[in-house]
Amino acid sequence: MLFAKPLADLIAQLEKLPGVGAKSAQRLAYHVLRMPGDDVRRLAEALTRARESLRLCAVCQSFSEGEVCEICADPRRDPHTVCVVAEPRDVAALERINEYKGTYHVLHGLLSPMDGVGPENLKVRELVERLRADVQEVIVATNPTVEGDTTALYLAKLIHPLGVKVTRLAHGMPVGGELDYADSATLLSALEYRREI
Amino acid sequence: MGFVARLAVRDFRNYECGEVTPSSGLNLVVGRNGQGKTSLLEAVALVSTGRLLRGSRDTQAIRLGQPSGEVKAELGDQGTEVAVLIAHGQRKRVLLNGLALARASDILGRLPSVSFSTVDLRVVTGDPSDRRAFLDAELAQLWPAYLRHLSVYKRALEQRNALLKAAQIGYVPDEAFEAWEEALGQHGAGMRLSRREWVAAAAGPAQEAYQFLGGGETMGLDYVLADDGVEPERLAQGLRDARSVDVRRGATSVGPHRDDLAVTVDGRDARAYGSQGQQRTAVLALMAATMASVRETLGQPPVLLLDDVFSDLDGERRSRLTELALAAEGQVFLTATESSLAGPSVLSRAAVFRVQSGTVRAE
Ligand SMILES: Nc1ncnc2c1ncn2[C@@H]1O[C@H](COP(=O)(O)OP(=O)(O)OP(=O)(O)O)[C@@H](O)[C@H]1O
Ligand SMILES: [Mg+2]
Ligand SMILES: [Zn+2]
Repeated sequence: MLFAKPLADLIAQLEKLPGVGAKSAQRLAYHVLRMPGDDVRRLAEALTRARESLRLCAVCQSFSEGEVCEICADPRRDPHTVCVVAEPRDVAALERINEYKGTYHVLHGLLSPMDGVGPENLKVRELVERLRADVQEVIVATNPTVEGDTTALYLAKLIHPLGVKVTRLAHGMPVGGELDYADSATLLSALEYRREI
Repeated sequence: MGFVARLAVRDFRNYECGEVTPSSGLNLVVGRNGQGKTSLLEAVALVSTGRLLRGSRDTQAIRLGQPSGEVKAELGDQGTEVAVLIAHGQRKRVLLNGLALARASDILGRLPSVSFSTVDLRVVTGDPSDRRAFLDAELAQLWPAYLRHLSVYKRALEQRNALLKAAQIGYVPDEAFEAWEEALGQHGAGMRLSRREWVAAAAGPAQEAYQFLGGGETMGLDYVLADDGVEPERLAQGLRDARSVDVRRGATSVGPHRDDLAVTVDGRDARAYGSQGQQRTAVLALMAATMASVRETLGQPPVLLLDDVFSDLDGERRSRLTELALAAEGQVFLTATESSLAGPSVLSRAAVFRVQSGTVRAE
């Protein structure tokens, strides 16, 4: 036997995590074995607590401790504007700039038939449900990839008939970037989405 | 004018380490079979397009037994250095003056090139997919917008095909198709527009070159659409209409991935009816037309990579081809197993490089 059973079990569990291959799983497992017992217990507890105490916010579908997340529950946030993102981490990214005052909606993925992901696998029905209330603008903030663009297009087709304004996050030149080194795809979209000054 | 002023290779094909300083005009690369002539041209193609010559996977160019290989080129007029790094188990990296580009294809356009070798005969003798690959490569070099259309189209096509397969075993609502078909419509129509324009513009120069190269017949080029979707709306509608048929076939039957480039000699399909000489002349004429379109569109002559073109041509055609290549007034790399094959008109002007088992030196 290559690994003692408990070690083999740990490696097998770690390998299930995204981005962790066989090699890093082994490295992490050996690291855990060398950690102080208290630290390991705290890690295990943190894992269990996070999983058990967090659920999807009933409104925006992001992770939340309560029935409704802090952002959705905040009376200073504007519920008439909803920013649609693919992943919970995108909410964190937008929150970091401390500028956006509306609310969010997390799809938990993007349309990708190749990966078996259709509208029914995303939080689309929940979004449409929300739009029945008084929402004025939906900002689609999916990544500018083929899947991100197509998901945005799909949502626009779905939402337009409801009489809600749909906008898309602009994409173009990175701020502080140099034209000469910009990739063509970025330049093309910057040109396409240029605006009058 | 873009040309290679210095070319250095490391662990690339059979070269351990090598460096050449080519002339900005004609360069003749001579050497016996299997010594490294094609590899040298391939190194130029790699810094020009970010890709190896048609068909090779990147890591196949790493010298056997080595972890990585590299090609570096100094571009003559711009003081720019382009480097391409290929390593096993890593993404290929293309660097411009030391800065990594986001995508290898972002290098396109800095050093435009047109290549021709015996495998390119496929453009006439091969399948429609060979001709589409030829068009895609040439158009991507001319217009980054084309490359964008192409890459989005390919991806969206895979996604739609996956939906078709899903619809064979379960229910897929129409709305699930709509957004993909709209994307295909927009980008597919963009591709068709560029391809049609390019072919229409290339037909005249191709015919001229064909006759100059000694073909007595008329040569024709025509872009053949598989369906009438040349506008985004129309193509998206065509996809919608074909949906149920496509579900049954499990493949998309409408769009530019089904089109073809018709090459004709005296009005007849060159692939089915052309003699070998006619087919060869037609491909060379197509190459000449490509050269002309690069010069016209990008305002500079492309670097010409002519691999082993002389061996199959008679003396008259050889000198005509040489004239064509020289008339472009760009940098030319020619390979031959014997310098005598090149003829006096080449030898009097060319910088000659001799290649022997992975080493190259100027003569
Ligand atoms: N990755 C690699 N590592 C080592 N050698 C390689 C690699 N790829 C190809 N070769 C070898 O490099 C040599 C040179 O190949 P190349 O195609 O450049 O020859 P050539 O001079 O064009 O020959 P020919 O006249 O037959 O066309 C060949 O012997 C080939 O087998
Ligand atoms: Mg060769
Ligand atoms: Zn919420």
